[in-house]
Amino acid sequence: MSAFASSFRPVASRFLAQKLPVSAVRRVTPVSFPRGSVRSFSHSPFWQLKKYTESHEWIELADNGKTAKIGITAYAAHSLGDVVYVELPSEGLEVSANEPVGAVESVKSASDVLSPVSGTVVRGNSILDDKAKFINESPEDEAWIAEIEVSDAAELDALLDEAAYKAHVEAEDH
Amino acid sequence: MRYSRRYLPSSTLFQSQQWQYKTSAASLRWNSSFTGDQFAQLASRSSSKHQIYQSLSTDPYINLSIEHFLLQHAPADSNILFLYINRPCVVIGRNQNPWLETNLRLLHNDRATRPSPNNESETAPLYVRRRSGGGAVFHDEGNLNYSVISPRATFTRNKHAEMLVRALHRIGATTISVNDRHDIVMRLENSGERLLDLQPRKISGSAFKLTRERALHHGTCLLDSPNIDRLGSFLRSPAREYMISKGVDSVRSPVTNVSSALKNAPVSFEIQDAIAGVMDEFAGLYGTCSDAVRRAQRAHIMDESELYAGEDWVVGTVGAEQGYGEAEIVKGLEEMKSLEWKYCQTPRFIFSTYPVEGEDPRERPPLPASLPPSTRVFLRLKHGAIVESHISTSSDAAVASEQASRVQETLRDRKLHEIQPDQWVHILSTHLGAEEEPATIQGLSDFVTEKLGWV
Repeated sequence: MSAFASSFRPVASRFLAQKLPVSAVRRVTPVSFPRGSVRSFSHSPFWQLKKYTESHEWIELADNGKTAKIGITAYAAHSLGDVVYVELPSEGLEVSANEPVGAVESVKSASDVLSPVSGTVVRGNSILDDKAKFINESPEDEAWIAEIEVSDAAELDALLDEAAYKAHVEAEDH
Repeated sequence: MRYSRRYLPSSTLFQSQQWQYKTSAASLRWNSSFTGDQFAQLASRSSSKHQIYQSLSTDPYINLSIEHFLLQHAPADSNILFLYINRPCVVIGRNQNPWLETNLRLLHNDRATRPSPNNESETAPLYVRRRSGGGAVFHDEGNLNYSVISPRATFTRNKHAEMLVRALHRIGATTISVNDRHDIVMRLENSGERLLDLQPRKISGSAFKLTRERALHHGTCLLDSPNIDRLGSFLRSPAREYMISKGVDSVRSPVTNVSSALKNAPVSFEIQDAIAGVMDEFAGLYGTCSDAVRRAQRAHIMDESELYAGEDWVVGTVGAEQGYGEAEIVKGLEEMKSLEWKYCQTPRFIFSTYPVEGEDPRERPPLPASLPPSTRVFLRLKHGAIVESHISTSSDAAVASEQASRVQETLRDRKLHEIQPDQWVHILSTHLGAEEEPATIQGLSDFVTEKLGWV
């Protein structure tokens, strides 16, 4: 569905919407345009494909172009407050986009963590089993929640890039 | 003061009034009245922006499942109030441990594969795990549950607790306020010289569930619980000195009934008055039209579930058996009743009769005199199943280690709630019988099964 939708967007605007580190833009732009599939970037260590959802999850595709880590954004971690428990998914769980791939509890609130794309869970981040509060310390880095094998990397195209996510957060905060 | 606990309809006194009301409603507003089986359809109608319901069911599973349906299926921009009263039950938070947070021995036993010889368990409070976070609470017929489902973007954690406080002020309980844990507490006035009573007491606890677009806030409100002096006993585990669990611990608080502040009030009130007050405050908060509120406040007079709908609102009574056969409600109901959800959703925990360094170094109480002092019981659980164990009685380290590995072979991967008391006896006598007398085996089994909440 998402791949279908993105095919209607002009390639150039889709590309311009990406906010890249300056060095990555300089290196990657000429060879990667026009864009075929995400996998064409899989050999570039500079290409870190990280996308966001409106429900405040992030997903970052690994260099292999097949697996991705999923977590909650710094904004989400901050607004949820002290995380006291993280429900990790079990290995092999198949999830569709927007289905729960875990849940966090903070200040009496249970919140689902939705998978931004479809895939199969490779593992949950077991560090969080012992130290749920780690989510508040390193939400967008070490405290990822699930690693999944992505069914179709093109699904990431439909997600928000960093700039669009920032705008979404600002709009939510008024 | 007369304080009636009558909150359910069906008093014969009301029969004639009810009939009159029904006929007038039928003749005047026929087109806006619906039967309960249209609940799912009306609740998920995209124009149903204001919804107020009171449940006629006292089944906690039904009420929590209706609530979950509203969270999942009502329009994203709607504001919903749902009020319900459950039969006696202990409700734990999503990420809690029933072996640690409740006294399963006093609760209805849903784990037994054979009916228990006494019928007491049938009328005992139920054990329920909810989908929202937070700690363990007790419900009964004197406890009103309020639930507000609203857009996540405009939600704050105290908004609806404050709404309830305003409603309680209306009925004369003026010393009620929200504390920093989002709980509602009450200061007892003129309580004599007892120091204890100077501390505000909790009358309401809250929990939340957040989804992509929606926020659910539900809370208890102890209006007039007949179990107020013993509800703590249902929340005190026989294993608390032996067990440590990941997940969420309950915070114990002294509690009281709202009615205790109204003993000298000039006018008595019924639970239905509190319900009407909460509806008024909800309507004030979200701008619900007065016609809808009036109908919501009167709907409980009917015996049968009945709904009323206007252009942008739905109100009325809900709670028919089995969630009206609506597939989504039934699915949630089955899930919530399943032993998998009730027991295996438990975060990781250990049970140990001796201190475990790094995990639970507390000194343990002495073992029963009937057991050899060298007796050791250790269980490690994940998703409610035993992943590691050490059960032995011998004082000889080598023998103890052999005993433990024999028992572990049988126990590994078994779901703890499924192991019946007679199976404990069987497992222990099979693997420890070579070294121990039957009386000791029975004593050990009694000890384990008591701590794990079997009577």
